[in-house]
Amino acid sequence: MSRYRLLLVLWLLTDLAVFLKSYAIAYFLRVGFIFSTDFPFDHFMIAVAVASPVWLAVLLTTRTFALFRKQTEMRNAAYIGYSALVGVAMFTLIYYFLFEQFFSRLLLLTALGISFGAVWLWHIVFSVILRSLLRRTPAVFPTLIIGVTRESTALIERLQKHRSPLTPVAVLDGHGAKEREIGGVPVRGKLNKLDDVLKEGITHVIQCSDLEQSLNLLSACRSRGITYMLLPSVLGIVERDERVESVEGQPVTVVSPQESRWKWFFR
Amino acid sequence: MQAFILAGGFATRLWPLTEKRAKPLLPLAGVPLIEYLVRDIPAGIPITVSTNAMFHDAFTAWKETLNRRDISILIEETRSDDEKLGALGATAQWIDHHDINEDVLLLTGDNYCGFSMKQFLDARTPGETLIAVHDIKDLEKAKAFGTVITPSLAPTSNAPLPITSFEEKPVHPKTSLVSTGCAVLPASVLPIVIEYAAIKPDNVGGIFEELLARGLPVHAFTFSEPWFDVGSFEAYLEATRSLVGERFIEEESAEIEQTSCEGSVVVGKRSSVKRSVLKDTVLFEDCVVENCTLRNCILDKGCVLKGVDLNGKMLREKTRLAL
Repeated sequence: MSRYRLLLVLWLLTDLAVFLKSYAIAYFLRVGFIFSTDFPFDHFMIAVAVASPVWLAVLLTTRTFALFRKQTEMRNAAYIGYSALVGVAMFTLIYYFLFEQFFSRLLLLTALGISFGAVWLWHIVFSVILRSLLRRTPAVFPTLIIGVTRESTALIERLQKHRSPLTPVAVLDGHGAKEREIGGVPVRGKLNKLDDVLKEGITHVIQCSDLEQSLNLLSACRSRGITYMLLPSVLGIVERDERVESVEGQPVTVVSPQESRWKWFFR
Repeated sequence: MQAFILAGGFATRLWPLTEKRAKPLLPLAGVPLIEYLVRDIPAGIPITVSTNAMFHDAFTAWKETLNRRDISILIEETRSDDEKLGALGATAQWIDHHDINEDVLLLTGDNYCGFSMKQFLDARTPGETLIAVHDIKDLEKAKAFGTVITPSLAPTSNAPLPITSFEEKPVHPKTSLVSTGCAVLPASVLPIVIEYAAIKPDNVGGIFEELLARGLPVHAFTFSEPWFDVGSFEAYLEATRSLVGERFIEEESAEIEQTSCEGSVVVGKRSSVKRSVLKDTVLFEDCVVENCTLRNCILDKGCVLKGVDLNGKMLREKTRLAL
């Protein structure tokens, strides 16, 4: 876990550095590769430095740094873009408050474009590094898969293909299974081995079958501070368009009919 | 004669009730399953309970609760299902290491037998093997047991019948008369047990096939009293329903308030149930249930449920569910 925390801190710090450098590049691109006396570089960078923690805080609220966030997704790019926009707005306000001056609007647009592009690119690169380091033995997030099923086989393949931070290390099956391994992950036996396997430092359990034992798996996970996950297919939801939402504060799994895209905003 | 009770299994089908408990120590209507057997074994027959290292302390503690002093706990040095000796292997090892040279009453500790053990023992013929058999009246279910063929298709009395054929877990059972995990092995066949166990240490039923194959007499003691092989959640509930009937058992210092109980309900020691509906449900010790509807459920000790409805669930020790 300390490896993960260290990498997260490094990610946040490098993000700040990327943000600052993006603005510096925007300055030189718009002003020229000189230190202007009319529009001092140090004033510019002081305002950027003051705005950067606010920008980072906004980025954090979008959960862009979440363990399972796919950095290449358009949704993620949108969040980074939104944060970049807030960053530019903050920078503008801070600059005006500190120095009572306005300046080139094109510089703001350049800073917006570069900070968005550079941060997104850096996030994609860093997530590749992060995933690789998190999976290095001993894995930071050793994961137990419950159930030898078509779904669990597909899940293991997916986790391995995408080098997910969740590293499958063992499989248990409620009824026992003939398979000795799935995708190189050992099938350790039936659920009577659960306690022994969990003791080996498992951080996540993903249930892919045996719904009748979900309460017991949940109970075992809670007692050990382990994160429990359930594939929707265990509940018979196989459409792949399910989502967890809230109805008056009560979490519910939603599978709704196909709707036009604009309705997404009002769902 | 000596009694040897097999209690070394890991009972994976009854997980999570058997997560930290041997199946023979599961309470059935408030009494450990194995205790029904031990109570019925006539005085003067020393009892050896064979279990594994994982459950040693639990069996030792259980032994201390009994009035009977002639019980010894034998430990198989195994800690997982993968390394266990096998039921017949454990029996053979005990016979060999302890130089047993008298008749052996061989019992499986996870079976409930409603017949009188004395009557069973009185029915045996010296020097001959006797198996307690029960007609479960279901050929499909018989696939999971050792089936016994006798010349009389519909046994009506307790008089032992000669067994002509024994099939362990047959794919196509010819009869629903099954072996119940209770047998007397005469001293004369114990060398064969050791010999056979070296080849098939897991196959207890196989020894009867072997004896028949060698032309040695094996007899069936049939009975109509209840018998349960408590091997699964459903079997456990069925056994509870049969023993408890349409009533509820409230064990020592259990509390039940404003609660409706239907079918067979057992509330374990120090458990508390308030404003709930319980139907065919068993609560082990120290459970707290409030505002719940539980049907066909078994709650291991220390479970706390508040405001939940459950049907057909076995909950592991100290499960907490509160809405």
